[in-house]
Amino acid sequence: MELFLQTLIDGLLIGGLIIVVGIGFSLCFGVMHIVDFAVGEWVMVGAYVSFLFVRHLGHDPMIYLPLIFFTFCACGWVIYPLIYRAVSGKRHNPVLMGLVFTFGISILAKGGALSVWGYHIQSITTWLSGKSISLGIATVPALRFSGFAFGILITILFMIFLYRTKWGIVIRATAQDRDTANLLGADVRKVGAFVYSLYAGITGMSGVLIGALFSIHAAMGAKYCTLAFFVVVLAGMGYVPGVIIAALILGLLQSFVGVYIGGRYNLVALFMVMYGVLLITPKGILRKGI
Amino acid sequence: MPTWADQAKLNSTPIAWQWVCLGLIFLVSLIIPWIVSPLWIRIVTEIFMWAGLAQSWNIIGGYTGYLSFGHGAFFGMGAYVTGIAMMNLEWPFGVGLLFSGILAALLAAVIGYPTLRLRGAYFAIATWAFGEMIRQIATILDVTGGAFGMQLPPFLNLSFFYYVMLGITGLTYLTTYLLLERSRFGYKLLAIREHEEAAEMVGVDTVTIKIKAFALSAFFPGVFGGIYAYWVTYIHPDSVLGAQITDFMVVMVFLGGVGSLWGPFLGAFVVQLINRYLWLVWGEGTFYLIIIGAAICAVVLFIPNGIIGLLEKRIFSPRGALSQLRKLIKW
Repeated sequence: MELFLQTLIDGLLIGGLIIVVGIGFSLCFGVMHIVDFAVGEWVMVGAYVSFLFVRHLGHDPMIYLPLIFFTFCACGWVIYPLIYRAVSGKRHNPVLMGLVFTFGISILAKGGALSVWGYHIQSITTWLSGKSISLGIATVPALRFSGFAFGILITILFMIFLYRTKWGIVIRATAQDRDTANLLGADVRKVGAFVYSLYAGITGMSGVLIGALFSIHAAMGAKYCTLAFFVVVLAGMGYVPGVIIAALILGLLQSFVGVYIGGRYNLVALFMVMYGVLLITPKGILRKGI
Repeated sequence: MPTWADQAKLNSTPIAWQWVCLGLIFLVSLIIPWIVSPLWIRIVTEIFMWAGLAQSWNIIGGYTGYLSFGHGAFFGMGAYVTGIAMMNLEWPFGVGLLFSGILAALLAAVIGYPTLRLRGAYFAIATWAFGEMIRQIATILDVTGGAFGMQLPPFLNLSFFYYVMLGITGLTYLTTYLLLERSRFGYKLLAIREHEEAAEMVGVDTVTIKIKAFALSAFFPGVFGGIYAYWVTYIHPDSVLGAQITDFMVVMVFLGGVGSLWGPFLGAFVVQLINRYLWLVWGEGTFYLIIIGAAICAVVLFIPNGIIGLLEKRIFSPRGALSQLRKLIKW
């Protein structure tokens, strides 16, 4: 029973952090209709940048979060025109060109990280590392809890932005119907650039926490790519609120598979669930995907 | 990608020349094992293997327009299945190859059944996750030797593998030519790629056709994997199931010309020669990933029709090159 509760809490805590990886990714798909294969690489680069900051400037990685957010926003803003060029123009299948382009970016980023930092595994420590909160029946590692809290905070801010501000309305309108939004005066290209840079910033930030919680290595991107894919398929592609439930389910699934079956089987379990969802309800468990 | 008009133009070029060239290339490739050094036999065998793999990716990615980012899994699966069939079941090599090809095709049909009804993005995601899963399974199972890999009975005969690879690659291209360029099946695929809703409206059973195309495109990597395993005699998860296998297939097809018959061959030739040259100069490294990634991005941005597209636009004559360059620079 104690083990069960501990597994449950661990899963929910990890799920909270996974929300951050999935939420920007889902919005990005909703607005641009492109699956960004580089999502795991944004996490990886975010982790490495925070590692470099800590090593060269000192201090706790947490205080670099805003700085990393704005740096990655700028990166996304710079890369977006290239993606826009890949999906527009006289191409027969723009969506596929966009997919291949982001696939190329992900290989480029992975190769760059492997060439610069090699296969060494790095880690960063924060003042929360090693501390834990005791709840009587189960203990909660402080770092995991702060990751979860961070995830929830970002999600709330993101939702307020998306549903309560004028910019959010424009973004949702573009996601719903691109051409009509364009006719009504939304600059679709600018909206796309804004969404992509927001997504890059949020995902890069999640990399800092993931790097502090787990280890940092150049090939970690593939894992978070799979997690993000799983989350959006479960949530329904492009349906942002579904990401919260899907990420929590993913966290629980990973944690229970890890404890009761063995961590080696987590990808197998993930794929089986994803296959089942695609077979039964392709629009996600809430049936609200596009 | 060539449209209907391009296709018609291609078909009307003097056919005789193409066949003469093809015959010459075939004759030269038949005598290669007697005239070059063992190193070069290996390199040419590799080029043929990659040309076949790239073409099989092209069947689903180029002709059908659905991108499979887990195609390397079929290659690795073929390698392991052939290895297991030869070592544990003691089947002959040829039967093992056929078995791994059929198994890969069946698995592709299972993956394709739910995902090919949906949009291309779902298919790309599902195949990618499938590739990751197969790699993990290969490291878990006992029969595959886990992370240590698997040793096959050594059979050191370079020319044998050269001819087998040449034969299967020839078969891949012949199948593509007969089934996709010269039959109703190929026209249906083209219709799906150019406008899926319209194809469905005129009565094409799109889902079945797509599943068949995906199974066909998975069959050949399974066979190639089997030959590769017996050729190198030692396989482990990183060498036959690594992400780089899919990466190479994608870059070769896109560099050569996606959706064309000879594009993947050209792409495989160029990429594999550069890859081997870098390997001879710098040795083992990860720098090739940067080059692959940058090449994919550059091709998508600047030459979406690949080398074949450039050849068709006569870029290699000075006047054509100038006018093309002017068009490119205009953002």
